[in-house]
Amino acid sequence: MGEPSPHSAASQGAGIDLSQFFQVFFEEAGENLERMEQMLLAIDIEAADEETLNAIFRCAHSVKGGAATFGFADVAELTHQMETLLDKLRRHELQPTTAMVDVLLESGDALKAQLARHQGSGDDPIETEALLRTIRALVEGGEGGVGAPLARPLAVQDAVSRGACASVSSPAPIVTTVRALVLTVGPLADPRQAENLFELFREIPDLGTIEPLDGGQAIDGVRRLRIVTTTPDAELIDLCTFHVAREALRLEPATEGYGFHAGAPGAPPEPDPPDPGYGFFENAPGGPQGQGDEAVAPAPAAVAAPPVVPGAASTPRTAPSRPAASGAESSTLRVSVEKVDQLINLVGELVITQAMLAQTGKGVDTALYQQLASGLADLERNTRDLQEAVMSIRMIPMSVVFNRFPRMLRDLAGKLGKKVELVTQGEATELDKGVIEKITDPLTHLVRNSCDHGIELPAERLARGKPETGIVTLVASHQGGSIVIEVRDDGKGLSRRKLLAKARERGLDVHDGMSDQDVYGLIFAPGFSTASEVTDVSGRGVGMDVVKKNIVALGGSVEIDSAEGHGMTVRVRLPLTLAIMDGMSVGVADECYILPLSSVVESFQVQPGMIRTIGGSGRVVEVRDEYMPVIDLERVFDVPRFDFEKAADIMVVVEAEGGRAALLVDELIGQQQIVVKNLEANYRRVDDVSGATILGDGRVALILDVGALVRRSRH
Amino acid sequence: MEMVTEAEVVARHEAARAGGKPATPTARHGEYLTFRLGSEEYGIDILRVQEIRSYEPPTRIANAPPFIKGVVNLRGVIVPIIDLRLKLGCENAEYNAFTVVIVLNVRGRVVGAVVDSVSDVLELGTGHIKPAPELSTKVDAGFITGIGSVGERMLILMDIEGLMSSAEMGLMP
Repeated sequence: MGEPSPHSAASQGAGIDLSQFFQVFFEEAGENLERMEQMLLAIDIEAADEETLNAIFRCAHSVKGGAATFGFADVAELTHQMETLLDKLRRHELQPTTAMVDVLLESGDALKAQLARHQGSGDDPIETEALLRTIRALVEGGEGGVGAPLARPLAVQDAVSRGACASVSSPAPIVTTVRALVLTVGPLADPRQAENLFELFREIPDLGTIEPLDGGQAIDGVRRLRIVTTTPDAELIDLCTFHVAREALRLEPATEGYGFHAGAPGAPPEPDPPDPGYGFFENAPGGPQGQGDEAVAPAPAAVAAPPVVPGAASTPRTAPSRPAASGAESSTLRVSVEKVDQLINLVGELVITQAMLAQTGKGVDTALYQQLASGLADLERNTRDLQEAVMSIRMIPMSVVFNRFPRMLRDLAGKLGKKVELVTQGEATELDKGVIEKITDPLTHLVRNSCDHGIELPAERLARGKPETGIVTLVASHQGGSIVIEVRDDGKGLSRRKLLAKARERGLDVHDGMSDQDVYGLIFAPGFSTASEVTDVSGRGVGMDVVKKNIVALGGSVEIDSAEGHGMTVRVRLPLTLAIMDGMSVGVADECYILPLSSVVESFQVQPGMIRTIGGSGRVVEVRDEYMPVIDLERVFDVPRFDFEKAADIMVVVEAEGGRAALLVDELIGQQQIVVKNLEANYRRVDDVSGATILGDGRVALILDVGALVRRSRH
Repeated sequence: MEMVTEAEVVARHEAARAGGKPATPTARHGEYLTFRLGSEEYGIDILRVQEIRSYEPPTRIANAPPFIKGVVNLRGVIVPIIDLRLKLGCENAEYNAFTVVIVLNVRGRVVGAVVDSVSDVLELGTGHIKPAPELSTKVDAGFITGIGSVGERMLILMDIEGLMSSAEMGLMP
């Protein structure tokens, strides 16, 4: 883990090594920040939904709580400031503004960077001073801007100025929630445990001040502490539970001591007598009378009294939403990918065993062994269902990828001075986790391209009779055994004329008779960019070729459709999963190899004289007016041949990386779905082989790396 | 003897790889699985052994060294098969009904080793283990950790983990 926790006090208090929970914290914090960002983007500035504001607050709060526990002070500090702002928003003390959303989004980014740093990927401390200042200014600036709730804070300010909260470093921006509280800790076996709480307040800036009551002595193992803070009660308790068990903690407003004198002037009516807080106090050693008196002694209670009312009123508002949140969490289970992969492997085994049984079962007289036959049929069905179910565990919805685009487009459009709206469809379409991870970057690039090159500036759009706001559409859908992701924009589209001109300029081999598809395909050529101006977003011509390469490496393909002036669509087609693919098995002498079906174009019987040589050794074959290199698999793989009667006389034309080649094989065995296995797990990389699979009879067959073979033929 | 030269190369490579570290760990007392390669009897740490299987023809891997026979499917895991007889220079490497594969667990990887036959599992006390004789550069100093002497038998105790993960084997990246 990135660095030793500077706050080992936290771990000492709990008496356990917290580092084992770091990973969980990082994962959860990442999720929380992700969720926060989405909600921030979705928020309607004009009429902010209270539930959303609360939810955003909770996200920041959870991150802060975790960060404080694990000793990431920088994270805790930033989240704390965000929380202050969010707290005001959800209490309607401030009206949300775009500036606030922006700064919160930026803070989210900074937090992600900080977390990444703590995880060990990056060394430079993240500069958050400016952010913190902006947030404080917003918290402060909003203060005067809101008319109605002004009266009460003023009263508080008055109280503060009288010295009760003099130790709070910058009282001005946070006065509304400054409260004086009495924390009762205990009974504890070792009252010194409470000392850790002082540590806590020292470590988290802006948490407030804490001082001991009762002269720092425990009464029957119960310590009492006076806290002046801006932090909500629930959060204080959360923080304190890092050192002291929750059951032993009780937080009461400092004035609550007065409340026990029934009918005290100004005391709020007590609507529900069975409040556990009161019950505790009654049983507490020392009795309520003494407690109350002592609470008064160090603090001029009258000073603290007024702010308690708004403070206390806010607590019940947040409380009911908590159970709902935890309910949603419990419906998912965090499982390591290794476990899932192991499950997939085991099921793969089962499928192979089942196939073997089915093979054997065919030879049995079904009239005699009817039960066996029906058992085998059941087994087949159940195995298939099981396989599907297990494979679906690794499937995650496309929304995971799509969700990052609203934010990106928002920033990008702002930077480019464009107006862009993002529409997503089919977010629920599921894709293998491995594919999702690898497709994110290419898709990001495509979306960025659409915004940068596709969508025109608002004025230009209006001039062309289009709505001012451009639309970028992301669509994911299933088509057969693959998933299709479309990135569509209604911008200026690709210009055939410009593309051809540019290609000629770069000396590429083009002619006017080329099909639209081929012309559009030019943008995938390395270093090709039609943007007249290079921006820091895109236009350097690095990218589309990489996009295509990455997608092809996943076994997918890219197509472009465009109408000049009306927009363009990039269609990415991907296999559903990397673990299973459609394969074509071919025989070479006595060996069997697998070709990815997606790369097979056609196959035919070799006629005498079809194969010509170039320069004596290079062999080519003419297929549909195209000469392509012949790759003799027998030679490439040095396959021993015992039966010289037979010879490889079937050509399989394959296509990869924009090139074609004809593979010479003995026979076509068949097509089947294969489970791709890694050769490198126990062995190492083998040239021209991308992996291995297990055939129905339990033998291993190697999967050919068609890309490598085609490359080899070029040299 | 060919075996010597082969082993010598392996030893040198291993020594070079280890970068001057003492290349020969001494055999410790414990349980050893014994097997035969030609006329010699070897012993390896039983804790490295995952299972013993009968030999089945593996799927050949093109352009691999001859001692790498190929890969087999071991309950869904692709496992490379090494013929120790070819690696250690035995004269005959036949595949018959007695030929077995010792499946080893080496540095988190699974590897199969073809041997002529597996004899038994022996408990070797410190008294049974003699240091490997100083054969100057002649013998595989890198991987022979001692000689086990049990009655009339002489067991060549081998650091199978070191051998399998050596650069010479080319099994590990």
